[in-house]
Amino acid sequence: MTDQTQRKRRPVSPAEAALRRLAAPIAPALRRAGWLSAVSECLWAGQAAVAALAIGGLVSGQAVLSPVAAALVFLALAAVRAGLDALAGRLAQRAANRLVADVRLQLTSAARQTPRADRPAPAELASLAAEKAVMLAPWAARYQPAMTRARIVPVVLLALTAYFSWAAAIVLFVAGPLIPVFMALVGMAAKEASERQMSEIGSLNVLLADRIAAIADLRLLGAEARAGADLATASDGLHQRTMKVLAVAFLSSTVLELFSALGVAMVAVYVGFALLGEIRFGAWGGPLSVEAGIFLLMIAPEFFQPLRDLAAAWHDRVSAQAVAEEAGEAQRAIAASGTILGHGAAAEPLPPAPFGWHGLTVRPGPEAPPLHFPDAMVAPGGALGIKGPSGAGKTTLLAALGGLIRAESGEIRWGDVVLDDETADRIRAGIGWLPQTPRFIDAPLSEALTLGRPGDLAAALRAARAEDIIAALPGGLSARLGDLGGGVSGGEARRLMIARAHHAGARLILADEPTADLDPDTADAVLAGLMTLRDIGAALIVASHDPRVLAAMEQVLEIAPQTPDTEAEAAQ
Amino acid sequence: MTVLLHLAWRIFRDSPKAFLRGAALGVTVLAMGAALLGLSGWFVTASAAAGIAGIGIGFDFFRPSAGVRFLALGRAGARYGERMLTHDATLHALAMLRGRLYGGVTRLPYEAQTRLRGAEALNRLTSDVDALDGLLLRLVLPAISVTVVLGGAFALLWWLVSLPVATAVLAVFLLGGGVALRATARNARAVAEADETALQDLRARTLDLAQSRADLAVAGALLHREAGVTAAIDASARQRNGLERVDRAGGAALSMTTAAAAAAALAVGGMQAQQGAITPATAAIGFFAALALGEGMALLRRGLAELGRMESAAVRVMALASTPARPAPARRADPVPGAPLLSVEALTCRRAGAARDIFAPVSFTLQRGETLLLTGPSGAGKSTLLSILAGLIAPDAGAARLMGHAIADWPEAELRDILTLVPQRSALIAGTVRENLSLALPQGTALDEARAWEVLDTLALGAVLRARGGLDTRLGAGGSGLSGGQSRRLCLARAILRAPKVLLLDEPTEGLDPATAHRVLTGLRRLLPEAGILIVSHRREDLGTTPHHIPLFPATTV
Repeated sequence: MTDQTQRKRRPVSPAEAALRRLAAPIAPALRRAGWLSAVSECLWAGQAAVAALAIGGLVSGQAVLSPVAAALVFLALAAVRAGLDALAGRLAQRAANRLVADVRLQLTSAARQTPRADRPAPAELASLAAEKAVMLAPWAARYQPAMTRARIVPVVLLALTAYFSWAAAIVLFVAGPLIPVFMALVGMAAKEASERQMSEIGSLNVLLADRIAAIADLRLLGAEARAGADLATASDGLHQRTMKVLAVAFLSSTVLELFSALGVAMVAVYVGFALLGEIRFGAWGGPLSVEAGIFLLMIAPEFFQPLRDLAAAWHDRVSAQAVAEEAGEAQRAIAASGTILGHGAAAEPLPPAPFGWHGLTVRPGPEAPPLHFPDAMVAPGGALGIKGPSGAGKTTLLAALGGLIRAESGEIRWGDVVLDDETADRIRAGIGWLPQTPRFIDAPLSEALTLGRPGDLAAALRAARAEDIIAALPGGLSARLGDLGGGVSGGEARRLMIARAHHAGARLILADEPTADLDPDTADAVLAGLMTLRDIGAALIVASHDPRVLAAMEQVLEIAPQTPDTEAEAAQ
Repeated sequence: MTVLLHLAWRIFRDSPKAFLRGAALGVTVLAMGAALLGLSGWFVTASAAAGIAGIGIGFDFFRPSAGVRFLALGRAGARYGERMLTHDATLHALAMLRGRLYGGVTRLPYEAQTRLRGAEALNRLTSDVDALDGLLLRLVLPAISVTVVLGGAFALLWWLVSLPVATAVLAVFLLGGGVALRATARNARAVAEADETALQDLRARTLDLAQSRADLAVAGALLHREAGVTAAIDASARQRNGLERVDRAGGAALSMTTAAAAAAALAVGGMQAQQGAITPATAAIGFFAALALGEGMALLRRGLAELGRMESAAVRVMALASTPARPAPARRADPVPGAPLLSVEALTCRRAGAARDIFAPVSFTLQRGETLLLTGPSGAGKSTLLSILAGLIAPDAGAARLMGHAIADWPEAELRDILTLVPQRSALIAGTVRENLSLALPQGTALDEARAWEVLDTLALGAVLRARGGLDTRLGAGGSGLSGGQSRRLCLARAILRAPKVLLLDEPTEGLDPATAHRVLTGLRRLLPEAGILIVSHRREDLGTTPHHIPLFPATTV
């Protein structure tokens, strides 16, 4: 009712604006759903009229409609309403699911192109795209149609009431707007408190998850019972605080129910007295008829219903706003971090050629100052070591060489081909990638190693001397490793990565600290694996601290630290 | 359904009084609602009849109108009380449920426990608990209220109106409600499970894409993998649509039930009034009361919508909460005098389904005050051997004895008192440093601060923690807030505070610079002069002059 005018005056909060932006494509569908459900609710007046005619006829003895006929019409109208409601529900829910899917698609497609693996954090992105995005649906499917209903239905029912009795209309007219006012007063107190409580309930789950994640350690410490008791204490504390919040929050819905109940009661009492002849005002020209009285009594509760629906869906709006804001932030962060070169699609590799760069300047992060790298060149079958303290930018350089980060200036070349958006996929088709932390996709090992490319995996495993690793795994090549290679040791994971490069027929290997945290024997095995790749004609570019690795390289490029060495400090 | 009822009963038993009072108020609310509308309908109709008959002056309008006001106010009050009581009891019940779940997890075998560490498993677990908060609030209690009020309404309508009207109303509600419940219950679980599976699949694929995007981009597999995520997004939307179709059908059935009950009351009551068996005002009571009882149907609808999700959550939660106790050893183990702390003979182990053993058979003994170094190439099974010695997994061949008894013969509590393992990926919990250290102590024991600082100083952690808030420094989930090397040393400190006779350490110096590593390892011996210490490390140089080392070799393929 008053919302239309309020919206024009009141500045929209950023969260609400974010939500509306996301929902713009489905807004027409939601409006249609809202109108359908509003029509359905207004049809209640028809049901009320039929029942009023029947009961009124019984009282006056002049039946317009027999009770059985009235019951049948009443039922038929109910069926129409149920159909309309189902239709409106279907329309709104499908639109809501489309909204959720759209937000997910936008997030994944944007995140796919970001150059850095840690921004936004994968776990946060996954949780945003999965369970948090779902929270947009109730807002679209319930709150928005309820909003439309709240603007239409009370006005229609008020007009119908006023047609029969201005006094009853005044009762509703006064009680109706009072509800939002009182709810706003109570709601303001409850809002902050309930937000705190929501985050605390979340923190209780975190507490439980934290203890379950640490359960093996707790067992080793004999601390299972003690940690369980801590959990119980924390739960109790939260319980007490939550009840205080709920005491206020429920007050707001009680106010709503109280006013609607009082509104209905006052209409009932007014109608009763008017029919008795005790009250002679309130109707237009003459006493209130029995039928009109019963009709008024029946539509009074429905006058309040849309407001009650709106109140019930209030939480949906609050949580949807939070999700919309978070999605907006994630998308801004993704946009700020730039995109990878090319698409990351499969492509025909370029023929072997010298690979090199000159005048290269790369920013490790959006806010970080750019790093300058000395020029270098490596021929097929050559080996280039990159040496420098932690934080000097070794990993950044390798990412730039793989076309995963855009260079500020300078040029990277594969023979005559310059690395850019057009050529990135073809250049990468010849590159084998050995990150410092080996990653395995969530798939059977055979797929995690081939990544969908054709070729002889057995030969690759042989060449990388990784067959014995497979033999010790339950299920062999059909085993699924954890994302960080859980199930094999660090050295084994790196040897599997080398097998992956063998299988890909890589002509250039980019390896980041391939021997970090390995014992000398395992480090030797990994280094030998790299050398077999070089022996079959691949070029190696290896970033490393390890003197033995650097000694095996034909040339070593030294990168001096260019920024205060904060990373090395953090590592301590 | 059975599993839900079983779980509901368990939850109910945690605070029966609160739930009973809540149920009583729930009945009151529904009954007062029905009475309010029934009374109003009767009052209006009877007033009209009195008005027409010209006996308006003699009509007692005070009591009905006071009744209407009392019911209106009382109903709102009762609703408030009901909500407070049932939410209080539910919060209590959920806290108990979390406790039971935690208890069940503590009894799981070690391998199953390590699988629960992943974000996906934890996420599923907590979302299951959240899904169950509506079990009593929105399903069981409303069902009880509706049943009781329907029964009461039947009796009252029979008394006030007539048996035919009362029967018609009850029959329609029972029939319609039953049909809706059955139809929903039959489909709900499968649909809800499919929906939940699609969501978890979407989550896993998104996480996978986000984590591996660099590898996938270089391999040219990024677009292909993204197509998999897109397919999962579509599948999730499809499942959600299916779930909501079932929900809409249930909702339509319930709202038609209310309409049919009211129509039946109108037709039967109206005919009886026409025949003069009852007055029109009495007939109105039946119609209006039936309409008001529809509120109960609306209450049930929300519960029905969550039925499937609750059912599948309940199956998992109940299974986990009722994990059987670990097999306890048949007899008490008393240390055999003179036996070495640890003695290992021809021990080996094989992963289920693997083609060969993890390591070749190994034998050694560990005496009091002795430090042994276990070495071997990466992947030789050093961590697995420590897990066997700590009694977490069983060996496949050979024997491991602690103070003369097989490790499996030691009762859990005594084993943990004697032997402590600090695994390579040791976990801290969210909370203060003091809370983390106190985990090492027997329940109810306060931390000895002087000893704690002595240990922390020896491990070169004292200065770091003093600068940050001492023992009350807060750590985030999983102990975040400390660097890798710091949290490893805090785990070590925690183990030392237990003063075990046998200490097993997996790569204790990883991530430490050589000077700190040396300081930590020599300090360790000073803090626990009597203990037998077995260290897995590939940095032999850290240990200085360690007397013995035991090599562990990978088994050859058989």
